[in-house]
Formats: sequence, C-alpha cells, structure tokens
Amino acid sequence: MFNIIKKSIQHGVVTVDYPKKPIKTDFITGKPEIDITKCNVCGQCIERCPSGAIVKYCRRDGQQSIGINVDECIFCSLCADICPQGAIAMSKEFELAKKSRDELRVTEAGIKAGDERKDCELIGKQLKHNINKYFGRSLNIREVDAGSCNGCDNEANALNGPYNDIERFGISFVASPRHADMLLVTGPTTRNMELALIKTYNATPDPKLVVALGACACSGGIFKDSYATRNGIDSIVPVDVYIPGCPPRPQAIIYGILKAVEKHARL
Amino acid sequence: MMLKLMDSIKEGFCKDIIKTYTVNKNETYIEVSNEAVKRLCMFIYKNIECSLINLFANDEREVNDGFSVYYSFAAKKEGELITVKTTISDTSVIIPSVTLEIPAANLYEREIRDMMGIVFEGHPDMREFVFHENWPWDLHPLQKDFSASRKPPFENRRQDFVRIEGSGVFEIPVGPVHAGIIEPGHFRFSVAGEPVINLEAKLFYVHKGIEKLCEEKHFEKVFFMSERISGDESFSNSLAYCQAIERIAGIYDVPERAAYARTIFCELERLYNHIGDIAGICLDVAYIFANGQFAMMRRWCQMLNEELTGSRFLRSVNFPGGVRREFIKDKEKIVLPAMDRLEKEFSETVDIIKSNAMFIDRVENTGVVSHTLAVELNSVGPAARAAGVHDDARVNFPYAAYDKIKFEVPNHNNGDVNCRMNTKIEEVAQSISIIRQAVELMPSSGGIIEPVESLEPYKHAFGITEAPRGENCHWVMSGENNKIFRYKVRTPSFCNWPVLCHAVKGNIIPDFPLINKSFNLSYSGNDL
Repeated sequence: MFNIIKKSIQHGVVTVDYPKKPIKTDFITGKPEIDITKCNVCGQCIERCPSGAIVKYCRRDGQQSIGINVDECIFCSLCADICPQGAIAMSKEFELAKKSRDELRVTEAGIKAGDERKDCELIGKQLKHNINKYFGRSLNIREVDAGSCNGCDNEANALNGPYNDIERFGISFVASPRHADMLLVTGPTTRNMELALIKTYNATPDPKLVVALGACACSGGIFKDSYATRNGIDSIVPVDVYIPGCPPRPQAIIYGILKAVEKHARL
Repeated sequence: MMLKLMDSIKEGFCKDIIKTYTVNKNETYIEVSNEAVKRLCMFIYKNIECSLINLFANDEREVNDGFSVYYSFAAKKEGELITVKTTISDTSVIIPSVTLEIPAANLYEREIRDMMGIVFEGHPDMREFVFHENWPWDLHPLQKDFSASRKPPFENRRQDFVRIEGSGVFEIPVGPVHAGIIEPGHFRFSVAGEPVINLEAKLFYVHKGIEKLCEEKHFEKVFFMSERISGDESFSNSLAYCQAIERIAGIYDVPERAAYARTIFCELERLYNHIGDIAGICLDVAYIFANGQFAMMRRWCQMLNEELTGSRFLRSVNFPGGVRREFIKDKEKIVLPAMDRLEKEFSETVDIIKSNAMFIDRVENTGVVSHTLAVELNSVGPAARAAGVHDDARVNFPYAAYDKIKFEVPNHNNGDVNCRMNTKIEEVAQSISIIRQAVELMPSSGGIIEPVESLEPYKHAFGITEAPRGENCHWVMSGENNKIFRYKVRTPSFCNWPVLCHAVKGNIIPDFPLINKSFNLSYSGNDL
C-alpha cells in the first residue's frame, strides 16, 4: 500500500491538458500539403500513392491541378519522399476532423452503384439540431470495430488511459449500444461486420451521433475496393464527423468527438 | 541432419519425387505427386523434430498448369525450412487431409477450402470458416479468375456451432461487438454452472481480403498493406515482408546500420505491446493502480516511437532493402535515458504487483496450456514459451542484427496466465537490454538502405520474424513487372487462437477476459 501511495505521489497528474493547451507538435506527422507553385504535375505521386489518395482534378479556374483526398490518405509520407520537385511536405496539422466528407476531398466522393445505403432507421434526424443541449455535458460512446487493423482501436483505447483521460469532458465509453449516444466506428466495414454494424446502429437510442474514425472508416483507406469490404462506413450508416488518419492520434480523436457535439468551440 | 533426411527421403520416395531444390540458403522445396504428398508429410513430421508452420495453396494455372499446395515444416532448432509442394490440375482433384495426424493443419485446410476451393478429403470438420454463411459456397476469391473488387450478392445459409448436450448445459453467445474497445469476434461458450466445457471462436469478422488485394500490385504498394495487417504489429509484419522481398531480390544482408535500426524498432514494438498486455491483465482483474502505471509506461514507449520516427505505431519506418531514414542517428541521447527511466519504473511496478497476493491468486493456475497442446497445435510466441516450448524466431532464424546481440529467451513451464505474464515481464527486460546493445554496437557511418529496384518474376521466399505475439511467417511469390503474384500471411495469432480456445476449458467464465488478455491475440492479423 505504501508503495502504491508513493508511486501516486511521484507521478502526480500526468493528463495532458489538450485542447485547452496545444500539444507539442515537433514530432507529429500531420496532413501532407502540396505546394502547387512547385508542382509540375508529373504524376509520380499519383502512381505510387498506396491508397490512391492523390488525384488530378480540374480547379475552379479550369486549370489542371493535383490534390490529396485526405479521407483516403494513410499518412505514409511516401509522396513527400519521392516528389522530384520537393513540392509535397508533411505538415504538423493533426486536427483534421470534418463534418462532411467533401471538406476533406478535392474530388467528389460519390457513393458508387451497389454501394447504396442500407436501410437504417433515421427517425432521430430532426432532433439533431438540439444535440448540443442533450450531449453537452455527458456523452456515452460505444466503439464498434467494423474491420480495422486495430491501430485505431488502440488509439481509442488510449483515450481511457492516464494521459488523455477522456472522462474529464464527461465523456465515457460504455459497454452496450443501448447506453450510448455516439457510435465511434473504425474500419471500412467488412462483409461479415455489415449486419452487426446495422444492428448496433439500430440498437442505439435516438438522437445519436456517428463518428467515422480513421482512413478506413472514412473512405475504405488502403482496403478499399475489396470483395470483402465497403468503401467507408457512410455507405451503411449516416456519419456526422469524419476523423482521417492512419491511425489518428488520440488528440485528433478528442478533437473529432468534441466537434461532433459542437463543444470544441467553447473550450 | 538435413542431408541425412534428404537422403532417406530420396531413397524412400524415389518414384514420387518430381523435383527438389534449395533456395535462399535454408528453404528446401520437395515437389511430389498427389498420391505421395501425405506419406511424405508424415515421414518428415515423424522423423525429425519439426512443426508445421504454414500450409497454403497458390493458383499457379498461368505458370504451372494447376493449383499448388505447400506444406511448410520448420526444423526450428536447425533453422531449416522444408516445404513439400504438390500440384493438382484442377480443384476437383482430391488431396488427403493431414489434420488427424498433424492437428496444426486443421485451420489451414479449412481456410484453403474457402479461399482457393481445394477440398481435403478426410478432414473431420469442413464447415465454412472465412465467410459467414453470406458468401456463395462455390466462389473462391484467391483463384486468379476472381476479380478482387467483385461483390457477389449476400446469401443466407445457416451453420451450427459445435453442440454440447446434456442436462444443465447452457450456451452463452458473446460478440461480435464486445463490451470493451476491442476487435470483433464471436465466442460461443458451452457451460455447466460456472466452468466452461467448450469454447468455439467464430472469427473472420474483420476479413478484408488482404491477400487478394496484394496480388497484382507493385511490391512497394504491398509493403504499405503489410504494415496494416495488424496495427500494433506494424513493424514485425512489414519486416517479414521486407525480408521475403529482399531474399527474392538476392539481398541477404541489408546495410549494417539498417539491421541495427530494425533490431531497435522490433524491440521498441515488443516493449509497448508487452507493457500494454500487462496493463490489460491488471485491468481485467480490476487492479486499476497497476493498469494506470503500465498504461503510462506504454505511453512513454509510444512517445519514444513518435519522437524517433514520427509514428506512434512505427509505421513508414521499414522499406524493402533497409529503413527509410536515419531514425536513430544522434538520438542515442534520447533512447538510452528513456530506457533507464522505463527499466526503473517497470521493475518497481512489477515488484508491487508481484507482492499482491490477491492479484497472484487470480493469475496463477488460470488458463493452463499444457506442453503437449502447445507443441501439437504449433503454438508460438510468449504463449508457447510459457508452456515450455523454447522457440524464438530471433534465435532460430536470426534476422536483422540479432545474431550479434546477446539475449536470453525466457522459458516457463506451467502454461498459465501467470507464466505468460512472467514471460512478457522478462522479455521486457531483455528488450531493454537488446536496445542498449544495439544502440552501442550500431556503426556510426554507412548506408541505411540498399533499394530493391526490381524483382525477378516467379521467385519466392519466406520472411520470418518474431512479432510481440510470436513467430510471423510470410511467403511471397513475385509476378511479372515487379508485381506480387501471391502473398501468404500467417501471423502468430492464427496459430494461437485454437490454443486459447483449449486454454479456457475448465475455467470459469469471469476468467475468460483475463485468459484472453494474457494471449492478447490480434483478430485482424488472424482474419486478414
């Protein structure tokens, strides 16, 4: 017992005070940025990008340009390494969560034929505008792994650890979707998990939020276009916030969750 | 020993052997006729001390007029791999099953039936395995004429679990969506009162078709896929893949600095995984203080990973031919003090938990794996080492710089949760010592990568590494235009899941999470 108290005093509170104070970003690998002025659209990065996130597209002014669909990006930094012009660099920006997938993309996502949304109950939609009022102080999250590589789950688990301790926001992870206000979904949705995801969604009481965690859940990531996966969870259930990353770091997840309940602005 | 074995094989099977050849120093392949394949496998299995480490099929109709089945045996003490290969012209040709004689073959044969369509005659349990009654029975995605993006309509069959009957026997279904933040899998317990009589795990919920997605892709793109086989084993999996690619390209020794860097990262990965596992064991017995301590140390490890490489999971570090950047240079001043701090905190916390009688009471004699079971099912990693199987790929098949470093492989005999935990605790100490030695021995100058420019088509090689969960065995065959023809992934989790199901028997249900955590298997690494 004495040793336990000694240890507790020795380490004190280790929780990082994010988002009140910004975290050290020196070592963070954030979103890749293209310097359009340097780029000569040689197309090497497009060809070699492992998840097909880099695309050629037509800008509003009609000019051919190159861009990154961040929802598909796996943050491998290969493009930054290989660009002969040195036009791509990995930034330190990690707070990437967005409410709409198109905000993360340069080209339109478009749900493919045969990918149309399955039948889920959408009754709670009209209640959503009051969500801040309902979930502002207390939010219960059910995590569902719909086919991730377990990287995202590990990072979601880290939210319960001493450093990130998500309970300080009144947010906790619960054991059943019946107790949950929010589903935190990882993975592109595999064929074998589709039914389980729909059942979990329908078991969650309205109004509810869905957060897509990681590149796979946002767009299918590196596993897209397989016989056994779908291209992101939004072809199965409606999504409120997309958190890109492979995997997103715990603070990026916190940012995304707070964004879903519109709480991040007030902190 | 190998020569003696090969001589007696050549003598006994002179009519049946089509070809024998040795590639990549220690991989011997024996091509044999369909009729003799089982006899030859049994001959090898009985005559030398070896285990079946991989069994896979390959659709070689384009190059070889048929489907080939490979049975890989490893004489681990000698560091030799013997692969028996047989080719059948069509999937309707019957191959005899070896499951009854070699229990470790069970799941491989079921997997091949689903993925490739080859039926093994005499297999005791040929139920559906990879697909969950929603996939057309006669469609096999690994056949080359199946398009990777084809999504056939859902079917609705029904498959029963193994039924245990008798008065007072109940079934408890658990999953696939679990109470904790873990991956999906369905567990069907048959219980009488508290003790578990039988546990059947229905996995493959996270089957993403990785092996198929890798085919017909450039080897560089497949590398990034290999990092994402199992999130927390990114480095070991990618290293196994890189080794296979390097062997195909004829690179047996990567630059020395790269070899040492790889050793350091392998051990950093082992550190954060093992410490996380011990944290999980403490959490599952509601020992929150210890959980907090170990979770804090895990975070230290991941912070160190990030500081060195920019990735908390050591992704984008490896690359075929070496490592991508100078990650370690001038960072000795970060690594060594971090190891000192970790070692001190870790040993102090371990002393606290080991002196807690209530904690030891929960872990001792819980979830026992017998030595026989571990050997028969080819259990690997800390789970096997806790049950007296003294095998470690770092010693048996030395890679990176492990042959230049001194370390001990812990060995326990009781096979319970306590032994698995102690194995991991001792391995943490060993990892810290390996990292210190590697930092010290690492030459201060020299290259870090010998890039693999191109791959000769239709060559194949194994890549074997010791992941935190155990031995990783990948097999890669190159195709034309630097593409991958076949990538067979076998992670330690695939070997250890059946062992876990046996370990639970006779224990009470509340101990299941604890036993599960002491193995801490990856679902994604199993399901692919």
